[in-house]
Amino acid sequence: MAEVKYLSEHYHKPEYRGLAGYKANGGYAMLEKALKMQPQQIIDEVKASGLRGRGGAGFPTGMKWGFLPKNGEPRYLLCNADESEPGTFKDRVMMEKAPHQLIEGMIISAYAVGAKKAYIYIRGEYMGPAAILEEAIAEAKKAGYIGKNILGSGVDVELDLYLGAGAYICGEETGLISSLEGFKGQPKLKPPFPAVQGYLKKPTIVNNVETLAAVVNIIRDGGQGYRKYGTEKSAGTKLFSLSGAVQKPGTYEVPLGYKLMDFINNECGGLLPGRKLKGVIPGGSSAPILSAEECMDATLDYENMAAKGSMLGSGAIIVIDDSYCMVDVLSTITHFYHHESCGQCTPCREGTGWVQKIVHGIVHGNGKPGDVDLLLKIADNMKGRTICALSDAAALPVLSFVTKYREEFEYFIKEKKSKVKGTQIYAQLNPSEMGAH
Amino acid sequence: MPESNNTAAPATEPKMLKMTINGKEVEVKEGTSIIEAYSQHGMSIAHYCWHPGLSVAGVCRLCMVEIEGNPRLQIACNTAVTDGMKVNNESEKVKDAVKWGLDFHLINHPLDCPICDQAGECGLQDQYMAYGKYTPEMAEKKVKKHKVVDLGPRVVLDSERCILCSRCVRFTDEVSKTNELGIFNRGDRAEIGTFEGKPLDNNYSLNTVDICPVGALTSKDFRFRQRVWFLKEHNSICTGCSTGCNTRVFYNKEGLFRIKPRYNKDINGYWMTDTGRDAYKFVNKEARLLDARVVSNGRGEWIAPKLAARKAGEALKGAGKSVALVVTGQYMNEEYEALLSYFKNEVGTDRVFHWINNPETFDSFDGLLARGDKNPNTKGLLAEMAKQGFTAQWRELAEGLQTGAIKTVVVAGPENQAVFPDLKAKIMELSKASKLVWLQAGKNDQLEALTGDVTLIPLKTYVEKTGTYVNYAGIAQKVHKGLTVVPNALSLVEVVALMKGEELPADDTYNQVGLGRVHNEFTMVRGTL
Amino acid sequence: MFQLSEEGKAYVKSELARYESKQSAIIRCLYRAQDENGGWVSPEVIEHLSQLMDIPAAQIDEVSTFYTMFNQKPVGKYHVQVCCTLTCGMLGGRELTDAMMKEAGCKKLGDVSPDGLFTFSKVECLGSCDTAPMLQINRDPYTESLNTEKGLKLVRDLRAKGGK
Repeated sequence: MAEVKYLSEHYHKPEYRGLAGYKANGGYAMLEKALKMQPQQIIDEVKASGLRGRGGAGFPTGMKWGFLPKNGEPRYLLCNADESEPGTFKDRVMMEKAPHQLIEGMIISAYAVGAKKAYIYIRGEYMGPAAILEEAIAEAKKAGYIGKNILGSGVDVELDLYLGAGAYICGEETGLISSLEGFKGQPKLKPPFPAVQGYLKKPTIVNNVETLAAVVNIIRDGGQGYRKYGTEKSAGTKLFSLSGAVQKPGTYEVPLGYKLMDFINNECGGLLPGRKLKGVIPGGSSAPILSAEECMDATLDYENMAAKGSMLGSGAIIVIDDSYCMVDVLSTITHFYHHESCGQCTPCREGTGWVQKIVHGIVHGNGKPGDVDLLLKIADNMKGRTICALSDAAALPVLSFVTKYREEFEYFIKEKKSKVKGTQIYAQLNPSEMGAH
Repeated sequence: MPESNNTAAPATEPKMLKMTINGKEVEVKEGTSIIEAYSQHGMSIAHYCWHPGLSVAGVCRLCMVEIEGNPRLQIACNTAVTDGMKVNNESEKVKDAVKWGLDFHLINHPLDCPICDQAGECGLQDQYMAYGKYTPEMAEKKVKKHKVVDLGPRVVLDSERCILCSRCVRFTDEVSKTNELGIFNRGDRAEIGTFEGKPLDNNYSLNTVDICPVGALTSKDFRFRQRVWFLKEHNSICTGCSTGCNTRVFYNKEGLFRIKPRYNKDINGYWMTDTGRDAYKFVNKEARLLDARVVSNGRGEWIAPKLAARKAGEALKGAGKSVALVVTGQYMNEEYEALLSYFKNEVGTDRVFHWINNPETFDSFDGLLARGDKNPNTKGLLAEMAKQGFTAQWRELAEGLQTGAIKTVVVAGPENQAVFPDLKAKIMELSKASKLVWLQAGKNDQLEALTGDVTLIPLKTYVEKTGTYVNYAGIAQKVHKGLTVVPNALSLVEVVALMKGEELPADDTYNQVGLGRVHNEFTMVRGTL
Repeated sequence: MFQLSEEGKAYVKSELARYESKQSAIIRCLYRAQDENGGWVSPEVIEHLSQLMDIPAAQIDEVSTFYTMFNQKPVGKYHVQVCCTLTCGMLGGRELTDAMMKEAGCKKLGDVSPDGLFTFSKVECLGSCDTAPMLQINRDPYTESLNTEKGLKLVRDLRAKGGK
């Protein structure tokens, strides 16, 4: 099965962005339907749908909701629109093309989990989508879809937009909560988990944009109906952000379980003429890279990616062909994690910097004979040792790049130049020398 | 790790949990974290950011333990003990994680131990010796950060040494609640600091130096003065106010160098004030009266204190109500007992007056530890005065001096002259008496310049004698003699004995414990040292 | 001494009431103050906000130095933030930065060009990898699908526009 328009059915219509156009295409009917259901019924449908979090971790959404305490304690629903995993841009597309779809999904979800207040946390750079969302929120408020006694149901849900200001770590749910509370976006210790003690120490659910939007379809088609796409363990469709060395990069919705190579060759128009596939990062920069060989039988679902030692992550696919030097590509990734480590936990704070210095040392012809093994050792000891997963996210690409393209690293260290002809070398930058910050 | 030595029984007994630490079965209260269990049972575990007086940060990632049934290592500080839990931090897996954790701490830490003030009491040194991997593999350039940053009047920061454990920031957020410190920037560029124009300037700032596990925060007063391994430690009590914080004083043969707090759950927790830490300066020789001074007929001479006390006693014996005693709240119960009963029974006077140094702020409290009563033992003094039936009012002293009814005034003056703002005025007032006997530890130019019939007798300070202080809440705390700074100085107990004409025991028993002289009304002796 | 405009102060007041805790207003108020201060957060800005919001200065400064969108030094009229992560890095973001900086007369990242118009920063993934290489000017919507030629033209166009 190839590309489907399930969540993105109406994305091609410019009017879908506004309230009138959204309603003309069936918008907010599912909110009406949901408000007539019991909250537990909605949760049950979401559980039955098998929907898994679309932000990266792939945790079952219904199960996450089930962790909330079963009492009347005030609680919050937060939408994670901090999309900042390198390679990912599908949430931006969704918010730009269908802001009301997200709002509808959020109000339904807030009702289901019993939250009277919901926030969309959007990254500060997304000023375009933020403006669109603010307008949509105002429209929805005016039309009575947000606020007190929604559509006469007696249900109250307030919705507001919160702006980040440039920090990858705020995509981690407890980092997001710290940021929303007005502090540095540093992840919090778990336990307590957010569902028990989150925003302002109240029970909190954090869901990705795409996850919340999918709730609208689940209400429409029912939990079982949602499963018409996808596989047993990876139900439904997913929006993938495809970028890199392909003819037609962009956002595509395909059913989970779709063949990676079909996706690249059909939807994305294949590689550039004369190029050969070298590897694919399947789930954002932190997902271990798949070698060209591993790509051949890869399918886009949680279980196949896990079997291949990688992950579906946020659904950000980055295609790399044989014109790129893997050492150079890794250097932009290590630079990213060094720049974005919040600095709380020692293994991450120090490890990201150490790794970055070694990789850039190699790129600048200063590689040392033991560097490859040292990189593996450092990365190995950054895994599973910290409060949040950023340290793991920084370690995994190092481990996979160095293991799968070891000869490129060895060559660079020995010859002091890239194995790939024409690779340009850029000045090594300290994160504090990157500009005006 | 400091432990409470006087745990009060809680209203309801908490449930006890059984657990196994490194193969040893122990019991802990429900709600205890694994690291607390380690510390309660004296088992060693690597850690930097955890501090029992602060919230859990969980950022140094060193207190890794292996919990049976959990494939991932967990941090002991943020994991609660459950019944039947089996933990260990001795497996190869844990040791390896800790080794790497230490290496991550060290890759950007300067190896300037030879010039670092923390050397000898450095967490990084100690833990690396215990758990480190000894084969550093970091060959890259270290991150450059700010050095010698003036954080405030008492504290200096070396950012490169900082391991970002956040203890100091948590202290200013949670304990002093003054919020001066922050961690600015992120990743390995993050640095501790203050906002310009808002220095670390509160009366608790030096606690940040104490809890800094490395040499990042150092005390301006102490830095570069002594290598810590040349100093001896002695447990004591802060005499800076009526709270009675438990302390450790650090000294060598030259005198005291610094004071640090010692944990006492009921009195000061883990902390003490900055002003209390200055209570070593008046102990040292340069501030002390070294011998007795006797002035008569306009001629002054320095004589042995014992002789001076004996002579003064001869004149006081049976002198009755022409003698007045002025006494401050700076001395020990045992001294008050000796002094006051001597004046009542042998001198025969009830003209005994309590000198309150700062009546306006006497009852104030900063909400944390510092009290307006800048005396360690006002409570003990008042109790002894009541016991002896002394009720004289200060006004009667002024009248007696005016009318000449009071001829001789004996003063047990301030040990810590800095907290007596009215000292100058009192000297002027009391020197109106035809004979003045002034007992005090510190030197004072005004006293030494007096020309009438004056005797100055040097006293010992709180680290040079044994006895009991009773704090504002009625908690009696005993301190022991730790060192001698001025060999000729006397305690009030010794002064009284000499005044009575007794000989001082050669074995210094008056300053030893178990003399049988230490008895007081405060049966609840807590925080005994 | 920096002071927000009257409207700015009113904005701060309304933001303080907007969220459940007043700290939550810090980010938006910093944006506002940065805009009113010519594009960067000076110590005076922190000091002023600290007084206005009754939040310790150190806490506001922690936020300002943590999030990269708060500039810690003066910037030109156009703060050009070029993405250089992964896809953008692969597809020419770094060459683009170098070429545009040269055209604008900026010698170093973070410097203001002699005409006061440009400052360049390399930034991490902006979430527009399908249109790589791309950039963001100030906090405007993105400028996408660039190449060196388009980048140079952009500098020239901005100079023509900004010079007026």
